[in-house]
Amino acid sequence: MIEQALVSVENLAFVSALRNSTFMYPLVNAGHILGVSMLVGGIVPLDLRLLGFWRNYPVMVFVDVLRITSAIGLGLAVFCGALLFATAAVDYAASPLFQAKIVLVLFGILNALILGRVFKQGDIRSLPMEAPMPVAMRAGAFLSLAVWISVLVIGRLLGYF
Amino acid sequence: MPHVRFFHLLCFAVLAAFFAASTAQAHHGWAWATDEEFEITGVIQSVRLGNPHGEVTISVDGEDWVVEVGQPWRNDRVGLTREMLSQDREITVHGHRSAKEGERLVKAERVVIDGKDYDLYPDRES
Repeated sequence: MIEQALVSVENLAFVSALRNSTFMYPLVNAGHILGVSMLVGGIVPLDLRLLGFWRNYPVMVFVDVLRITSAIGLGLAVFCGALLFATAAVDYAASPLFQAKIVLVLFGILNALILGRVFKQGDIRSLPMEAPMPVAMRAGAFLSLAVWISVLVIGRLLGYF
Repeated sequence: MPHVRFFHLLCFAVLAAFFAASTAQAHHGWAWATDEEFEITGVIQSVRLGNPHGEVTISVDGEDWVVEVGQPWRNDRVGLTREMLSQDREITVHGHRSAKEGERLVKAERVVIDGKDYDLYPDRES
Protein backbone atom coordinates (compact mmCIF):
# COMPACT_ATOMS: atom_id res chain seq x y z
CA MET A 1 0.00 0.00 0.00
CA ILE A 2 2.64 2.51 1.12
CA GLU A 3 5.08 0.93 -1.31
CA GLN A 4 2.58 1.41 -4.12
CA ALA A 5 2.14 5.05 -3.23
CA LEU A 6 5.90 5.55 -3.19
CA VAL A 7 6.26 3.85 -6.57
CA SER A 8 3.59 6.08 -8.05
CA VAL A 9 5.40 9.11 -6.64
CA GLU A 10 8.58 7.94 -8.39
CA ASN A 11 6.63 7.51 -11.61
CA LEU A 12 5.11 10.99 -11.67
CA ALA A 13 6.08 12.67 -14.93
CA PHE A 14 7.98 15.58 -13.41
CA VAL A 15 9.74 13.27 -10.95
CA SER A 16 10.93 11.01 -13.78
CA ALA A 17 12.07 14.07 -15.68
CA LEU A 18 14.03 15.25 -12.66
CA ARG A 19 15.59 11.81 -12.15
CA ASN A 20 16.80 11.74 -15.74
CA SER A 21 17.72 15.39 -16.07
CA THR A 22 21.17 16.75 -16.75
CA PHE A 23 20.99 20.06 -14.90
CA MET A 24 17.79 20.11 -12.86
CA TYR A 25 18.87 17.38 -10.43
CA PRO A 26 22.18 19.01 -9.47
CA LEU A 27 20.39 22.37 -9.25
CA VAL A 28 17.73 20.98 -6.92
CA ASN A 29 20.59 19.39 -4.99
CA ALA A 30 22.24 22.81 -4.74
CA GLY A 31 18.93 24.29 -3.56
CA HIS A 32 18.78 21.70 -0.82
CA ILE A 33 22.32 22.56 0.28
CA LEU A 34 21.54 26.29 0.17
CA GLY A 35 18.52 25.63 2.40
CA VAL A 36 20.54 23.55 4.85
CA SER A 37 23.33 26.12 4.95
CA MET A 38 20.88 28.94 5.66
CA LEU A 39 19.18 26.85 8.33
CA VAL A 40 22.30 25.66 10.13
CA GLY A 41 24.21 28.86 9.41
CA GLY A 42 21.45 30.81 11.14
CA ILE A 43 20.65 28.44 13.92
CA VAL A 44 24.23 28.06 15.18
CA PRO A 45 24.87 31.73 16.04
CA LEU A 46 21.28 32.09 17.30
CA ASP A 47 21.59 29.12 19.65
CA LEU A 48 25.04 30.18 20.79
CA ARG A 49 23.69 33.62 21.71
CA LEU A 50 20.90 31.99 23.70
CA LEU A 51 23.51 29.82 25.40
CA GLY A 52 25.40 32.91 26.50
CA PHE A 53 27.86 33.91 23.81
CA TRP A 54 28.13 37.54 22.62
CA ARG A 55 26.11 38.91 25.52
CA ASN A 56 27.13 42.46 24.72
CA TYR A 57 24.90 42.29 21.65
CA PRO A 58 21.12 42.39 22.16
CA VAL A 59 19.52 38.96 21.91
CA MET A 60 16.76 40.40 19.74
CA VAL A 61 19.23 41.18 16.95
CA PHE A 62 19.97 37.47 16.73
CA VAL A 63 16.41 36.31 17.22
CA ASP A 64 14.68 38.66 14.79
CA VAL A 65 17.13 38.15 11.94
CA LEU A 66 18.28 34.56 12.27
CA ARG A 67 14.88 33.11 13.08
CA ILE A 68 13.68 34.29 9.69
CA THR A 69 16.70 33.23 7.63
CA SER A 70 16.68 29.84 9.37
CA ALA A 71 12.99 29.35 8.68
CA ILE A 72 13.42 30.27 5.02
CA GLY A 73 16.36 27.88 4.84
CA LEU A 74 14.24 25.14 6.39
CA GLY A 75 11.47 25.75 3.86
CA LEU A 76 13.89 25.62 0.95
CA ALA A 77 15.58 22.50 2.29
CA VAL A 78 12.24 20.73 2.80
CA PHE A 79 10.98 21.71 -0.66
CA CYS A 80 14.11 20.64 -2.55
CA GLY A 81 14.54 17.67 -0.24
CA ALA A 82 11.04 16.45 -1.04
CA LEU A 83 11.89 16.57 -4.76
CA LEU A 84 15.11 14.62 -4.23
CA PHE A 85 13.22 12.12 -2.08
CA ALA A 86 10.62 11.64 -4.81
CA THR A 87 13.24 10.55 -7.37
CA ALA A 88 14.03 7.46 -5.27
CA ALA A 89 11.14 7.38 -2.81
CA VAL A 90 11.12 3.60 -2.23
CA ASP A 91 14.83 3.44 -1.39
CA TYR A 92 14.82 6.52 0.83
CA ALA A 93 11.72 5.47 2.73
CA ALA A 94 13.33 2.11 3.50
CA SER A 95 16.58 3.67 4.72
CA PRO A 96 16.95 3.78 8.53
CA LEU A 97 19.19 6.82 8.16
CA PHE A 98 16.51 8.65 6.23
CA GLN A 99 13.84 7.69 8.76
CA ALA A 100 16.06 8.88 11.59
CA LYS A 101 16.69 12.14 9.76
CA ILE A 102 12.99 12.85 9.27
CA VAL A 103 12.22 12.10 12.92
CA LEU A 104 15.02 14.48 13.94
CA VAL A 105 13.75 17.20 11.58
CA LEU A 106 10.26 16.93 13.07
CA PHE A 107 11.77 17.01 16.55
CA GLY A 108 13.85 20.06 15.61
CA ILE A 109 10.77 21.90 14.32
CA LEU A 110 8.79 21.00 17.43
CA ASN A 111 11.67 22.17 19.62
CA ALA A 112 11.82 25.46 17.70
CA LEU A 113 8.08 26.01 18.14
CA ILE A 114 8.34 25.33 21.86
CA LEU A 115 11.36 27.64 22.11
CA GLY A 116 9.31 30.36 20.45
CA ARG A 117 6.61 29.84 23.05
CA VAL A 118 9.03 29.94 25.97
CA PHE A 119 10.57 33.03 24.46
CA LYS A 120 7.26 34.84 24.38
CA GLN A 121 6.10 33.71 27.80
CA GLY A 122 9.43 34.50 29.41
CA ASP A 123 9.19 38.01 28.00
CA ILE A 124 12.82 37.78 26.91
CA ARG A 125 12.54 41.04 25.02
CA SER A 126 12.42 43.03 28.23
CA LEU A 127 15.34 41.30 29.96
CA PRO A 128 18.47 43.40 30.49
CA MET A 129 20.91 42.92 27.63
CA GLU A 130 23.55 40.91 29.47
CA ALA A 131 21.10 38.76 31.44
CA PRO A 132 21.52 35.03 31.01
CA MET A 133 18.63 33.22 29.35
CA PRO A 134 16.26 31.12 31.47
CA VAL A 135 17.29 27.49 31.82
CA ALA A 136 14.46 26.32 29.56
CA MET A 137 15.74 28.57 26.77
CA ARG A 138 19.28 27.36 27.14
CA ALA A 139 18.23 23.72 27.21
CA GLY A 140 16.16 24.27 24.06
CA ALA A 141 19.04 26.07 22.35
CA PHE A 142 21.42 23.25 23.19
CA LEU A 143 18.94 20.65 21.89
CA SER A 144 18.45 22.70 18.75
CA LEU A 145 22.19 22.82 18.08
CA ALA A 146 22.54 19.09 18.61
CA VAL A 147 19.49 18.20 16.54
CA TRP A 148 20.20 20.36 13.49
CA ILE A 149 23.87 19.45 13.31
CA SER A 150 22.88 15.79 13.60
CA VAL A 151 20.36 16.25 10.80
CA LEU A 152 23.10 17.69 8.61
CA VAL A 153 25.55 14.88 9.37
CA ILE A 154 22.95 12.12 8.91
CA GLY A 155 21.78 13.76 5.70
CA ARG A 156 25.30 13.65 4.36
CA LEU A 157 25.83 10.05 5.42
CA LEU A 158 22.64 9.10 3.56
CA GLY A 159 24.42 9.50 0.25
CA TYR A 160 27.02 6.94 1.17
CA PHE A 161 25.31 4.08 2.96
CA MET B 1 35.42 31.70 29.85
CA PRO B 2 33.34 32.10 26.66
CA HIS B 3 36.59 31.99 24.71
CA VAL B 4 37.49 28.61 26.13
CA ARG B 5 34.04 27.28 25.30
CA PHE B 6 34.15 28.69 21.84
CA PHE B 7 37.49 27.00 21.31
CA HIS B 8 36.01 23.68 22.42
CA LEU B 9 33.13 24.14 20.03
CA LEU B 10 35.51 24.89 17.22
CA CYS B 11 37.45 21.69 17.99
CA PHE B 12 34.19 19.79 17.94
CA ALA B 13 33.23 21.29 14.58
CA VAL B 14 36.60 20.44 13.07
CA LEU B 15 36.36 16.89 14.39
CA ALA B 16 32.83 16.51 13.08
CA ALA B 17 33.84 17.80 9.66
CA PHE B 18 36.80 15.45 9.61
CA PHE B 19 34.58 12.54 10.56
CA ALA B 20 32.06 13.42 7.88
CA ALA B 21 34.77 13.80 5.26
CA SER B 22 36.50 10.55 6.11
CA THR B 23 33.29 8.54 5.94
CA ALA B 24 32.39 10.31 2.72
CA GLN B 25 34.88 8.31 0.68
CA ALA B 26 32.17 6.17 -0.83
CA HIS B 27 30.28 6.49 -4.07
CA HIS B 28 31.34 9.74 -5.70
CA GLY B 29 34.68 9.72 -7.42
CA TRP B 30 36.90 6.68 -7.31
CA ALA B 31 38.42 6.87 -3.85
CA TRP B 32 36.12 4.14 -2.51
CA ALA B 33 37.18 1.63 -5.13
CA THR B 34 40.42 -0.30 -5.54
CA ASP B 35 43.06 0.98 -7.97
CA GLU B 36 43.19 -2.34 -9.75
CA GLU B 37 41.41 -2.73 -13.08
CA PHE B 38 38.53 -5.14 -12.68
CA GLU B 39 36.49 -7.07 -15.21
CA ILE B 40 33.33 -9.04 -14.65
CA THR B 41 30.70 -10.61 -16.90
CA GLY B 42 27.16 -11.36 -15.86
CA VAL B 43 23.51 -11.41 -16.82
CA ILE B 44 21.41 -8.32 -16.22
CA GLN B 45 18.75 -8.74 -13.53
CA SER B 46 17.42 -5.25 -12.99
CA VAL B 47 18.19 -1.66 -13.84
CA ARG B 48 17.63 1.67 -12.18
CA LEU B 49 18.85 4.54 -14.29
CA GLY B 50 18.87 8.19 -13.34
CA ASN B 51 20.51 10.63 -10.94
CA PRO B 52 22.81 10.58 -9.11
CA HIS B 53 23.97 7.56 -11.11
CA GLY B 54 22.45 4.45 -12.63
CA GLU B 55 22.64 1.02 -11.05
CA VAL B 56 22.55 -2.24 -12.93
CA THR B 57 22.22 -5.46 -10.96
CA ILE B 58 23.85 -8.42 -12.68
CA SER B 59 23.99 -12.06 -11.77
CA VAL B 60 27.42 -13.71 -11.80
CA ASP B 61 27.58 -17.42 -10.94
CA GLY B 62 24.43 -17.13 -8.87
CA GLU B 63 25.60 -14.03 -7.00
CA ASP B 64 24.24 -10.54 -7.50
CA TRP B 65 26.64 -7.73 -8.25
CA VAL B 66 25.72 -4.07 -8.45
CA VAL B 67 27.28 -2.12 -11.29
CA GLU B 68 27.31 1.66 -11.04
CA VAL B 69 26.97 3.19 -14.47
CA GLY B 70 26.93 6.90 -15.25
CA GLN B 71 24.54 9.71 -14.51
CA PRO B 72 22.05 10.34 -17.34
CA TRP B 73 24.24 12.58 -19.50
CA ARG B 74 27.19 10.20 -19.30
CA ASN B 75 25.07 7.22 -20.37
CA ASP B 76 23.41 9.29 -23.10
CA ARG B 77 26.77 10.39 -24.45
CA VAL B 78 27.76 6.84 -25.34
CA GLY B 79 24.24 5.76 -26.25
CA LEU B 80 23.75 3.44 -23.31
CA THR B 81 19.97 3.20 -23.02
CA ARG B 82 17.52 1.36 -20.80
CA GLU B 83 16.55 -0.91 -23.71
CA MET B 84 20.11 -2.13 -24.03
CA LEU B 85 20.23 -2.92 -20.36
CA SER B 86 17.20 -5.18 -20.57
CA GLN B 87 16.87 -8.24 -18.40
CA ASP B 88 18.74 -11.47 -19.26
CA ARG B 89 21.25 -9.76 -21.49
CA GLU B 90 24.89 -10.48 -21.00
CA ILE B 91 27.10 -7.59 -20.07
CA THR B 92 30.83 -7.29 -19.45
CA VAL B 93 31.92 -4.54 -17.14
CA HIS B 94 35.39 -3.01 -16.97
CA GLY B 95 35.96 -0.78 -14.00
CA HIS B 96 36.94 -0.79 -10.35
CA ARG B 97 35.38 -2.77 -7.58
CA SER B 98 34.65 -1.54 -4.10
CA ALA B 99 37.60 -1.64 -1.73
CA LYS B 100 35.30 -2.87 1.02
CA GLU B 101 35.94 -6.55 1.51
CA GLY B 102 33.14 -8.78 0.31
CA GLU B 103 31.12 -5.92 -1.20
CA ARG B 104 29.97 -6.89 -4.69
CA LEU B 105 29.92 -3.41 -6.14
CA VAL B 106 31.69 -2.18 -9.26
CA LYS B 107 31.93 1.26 -10.74
CA ALA B 108 31.97 0.89 -14.51
CA GLU B 109 34.43 2.66 -16.75
CA ARG B 110 33.40 0.76 -19.84
CA VAL B 111 30.73 -1.85 -20.51
CA VAL B 112 30.47 -4.30 -23.40
CA ILE B 113 27.09 -5.48 -24.68
CA ASP B 114 26.81 -7.68 -27.79
CA GLY B 115 30.47 -7.08 -28.53
CA LYS B 116 30.03 -3.32 -28.61
CA ASP B 117 31.97 -1.01 -26.31
CA TYR B 118 30.27 1.74 -24.33
CA ASP B 119 33.10 3.78 -22.88
CA LEU B 120 31.62 5.88 -20.09
CA TYR B 121 34.99 7.30 -19.08
CA PRO B 122 37.02 7.74 -22.27
CA ASP B 123 39.70 9.63 -20.32
CA ARG B 124 40.33 6.72 -18.03
CA GLU B 125 42.10 3.54 -18.91
CA SER B 126 39.81 0.53 -18.76
